[in-house]
Amino acid sequence: MNLIRTFLAVLACRFSRWIIRLLGRGGTAFPGRVALKIYPQVLGVLSKNVRTILITGTNGKTTTSRMVEQAFIDTKKSYFSNKSGANLISGITAEFCVHSTLLGKPKCEFAVIECDEAASKTVLKYLKPEVIVATNVFRDQLDRYGEITHTLNNIIEGISHSPESLLCLNADCSLIASIPSHVKNPVVFFGLNVPLEPGDSKELSDAPHCIHCKTEYEYSYRTYGHLGGFRCPKCGYSRPTPQYAVTEITAMDVDSSSVNMDLNGRDLFLHINLPAVYNIYNAAGAAAALDAFGFQRAEIAGALASFDCGFGRMEKFDLEGTPGRMMLVKNPAGCNQVMRYLAALPDPSMFVVCLNDNDADGTDISWIWDADFERLGTMDERLEKVLVSGIRAEDMALRLKYAGVPEEKMEIIHDYPQLIDKMCESEHRVFIMPTYTAMLELRGLMQKRLGGKEFWE
Amino acid sequence: MSSTLKICHLYPDLLNLYGDRGNILCMQQRLKWRGITAEVTEVPAGAKADFKDADLIFIGGGQDFEQEVLLSDLKSGKDQELKAAIQDGKTVLAICGGYQMLGKYYETWDGVRCDFIDAIDFYTVGSKERMIGNFAFQCGDASGGSTVVGFENHSGKTYLGPGVEPLGKILAGGGNNGEDGGEGVRYLNVFGTYSHGPILPKNPEFCDFLLNTALQTRNPGFRLEPLDDGLELAAHDAVLQRVLSKQE
Repeated sequence: MNLIRTFLAVLACRFSRWIIRLLGRGGTAFPGRVALKIYPQVLGVLSKNVRTILITGTNGKTTTSRMVEQAFIDTKKSYFSNKSGANLISGITAEFCVHSTLLGKPKCEFAVIECDEAASKTVLKYLKPEVIVATNVFRDQLDRYGEITHTLNNIIEGISHSPESLLCLNADCSLIASIPSHVKNPVVFFGLNVPLEPGDSKELSDAPHCIHCKTEYEYSYRTYGHLGGFRCPKCGYSRPTPQYAVTEITAMDVDSSSVNMDLNGRDLFLHINLPAVYNIYNAAGAAAALDAFGFQRAEIAGALASFDCGFGRMEKFDLEGTPGRMMLVKNPAGCNQVMRYLAALPDPSMFVVCLNDNDADGTDISWIWDADFERLGTMDERLEKVLVSGIRAEDMALRLKYAGVPEEKMEIIHDYPQLIDKMCESEHRVFIMPTYTAMLELRGLMQKRLGGKEFWE
Repeated sequence: MSSTLKICHLYPDLLNLYGDRGNILCMQQRLKWRGITAEVTEVPAGAKADFKDADLIFIGGGQDFEQEVLLSDLKSGKDQELKAAIQDGKTVLAICGGYQMLGKYYETWDGVRCDFIDAIDFYTVGSKERMIGNFAFQCGDASGGSTVVGFENHSGKTYLGPGVEPLGKILAGGGNNGEDGGEGVRYLNVFGTYSHGPILPKNPEFCDFLLNTALQTRNPGFRLEPLDDGLELAAHDAVLQRVLSKQE
């Protein structure tokens, strides 16, 4: 009976996906829903014999997944991943359907799966990964996810369904690091032993108060947001010592970073093929997961030095001769890190900000006032121009005005083709910061014009 | 005319959701463009507040996780001091959770009651559905009469006592309770509202009315010079058009 339901679910999923592709669309959510409708437990059946690494958390899921995936590519392992941001139960189920035979036998030995933090509580009921990486919890789309403790609880509930999974947790995030007090899973921690901000930093913290007793944390150092060497003076809850620790950052520039890591007692030098502090965290998490999964040090270093993330995560574009990078922005913590990166640019640049407020972006755009756009306001002549676009372009321009960006340097352009023209005309590097749905639309148009793959390929 | 406005930012550590600090940024900039310095004093939980010294008190919205910390800090004496400041005619802008806190109490949908500072005669009852989305209201004449746009996100329904005036009338959205068409509260010089957004940047007329109210308590008859609000009004009009067209 279950075999028949599996067969029907896989068949229906693949058939509907084929039809959608025939129509020239890239959706994976609908085929997954079809499969789940026919057989709600299908994900559990299909994933049973697939060794899976699952990555969840607010920021860094996609990048960490691509880093991990690169090691699977390099070592020619038989694997698949959910590439197109299809990270809810429907999209994940669809990926497993596509990578199974009609009788439900896996076609691949491994899977690298990114999972939406809210969806993890249902996904993990069925999918039992060998390793679960939890990157961080930040405020994100409060209209959809609610408070951050709610997000954390979703992740904890998910993990409680999968007690055998090895947890690979960010030691510097006081929320993520509290997970082991609720579950019995084996755990390793990763983190940065390197201060990037003074302990008394004023950057907005999403979690200033102890998750256990609500007393304000003390910090011996901070890296960004609420991440760093936290300690509760009342109950003693503090940052666990990570087995996988970045011990030194040896270089950081516009295109990459280099770090030394203590990889569970062994030294590892990493060249990370993406810039900015938050990608050092992603690299540390990926290295920890890969080591725990049995990869060699040279394989880990090779993957991190060569991976290419794409999909709007510091993605490179050739704008008819002008170099461009696209970096998705979606919440204050992530956006602050992008601002920090931009403010350190040595040369004059053009910025493009596209703010949408569709459901997938979060309908409440007030978070832009929590993000530190003031850093752009102090860039003076290194800020050549800011083009502002998206459904909420006027709100974005207003935010920049109050951040100290001169109005004469801003231009509101609602029309995307015209916006792309302007970017291509720029004499300086272009950095494009869209929210999620703006990224999908803009990226599609840019690829059509400049060449490149469709995002679901 | 003194060239400083003293702003007391109450509980920046606990009530800092949804970009409400943008209101402080906005006031600072709009005063600076007129040659007035905004002197902002942050009063986190555990710190002593000097409400008497302030010209304007700002209270933002927060999340439930830290509510106990907030309530116990209020009970340490700040509640009485804040009430006295309000009775004294201090200008206050209070958003969402900060607004609810000025009332009598909050009762959750399953009947647990939590006492607030009772500075103004209103109360809030939790409901299961949230009022969430862009919204708009028209301020009463006593509050400048301007149209205000913002974003509301609350499950609490607030009911004003007899004779207590709302800040404005709902044009689109829920407001205080989604039933009586009122939004926020206006009591003495207190402006309470559910509007995040943040409220002030996109509503320059309302922002200046609030600042004038605060400045006039020390300098009667004072009025801020107008600014070029082209971009502010473009953002205001874009949201207003959207919420009004969605209603039909």
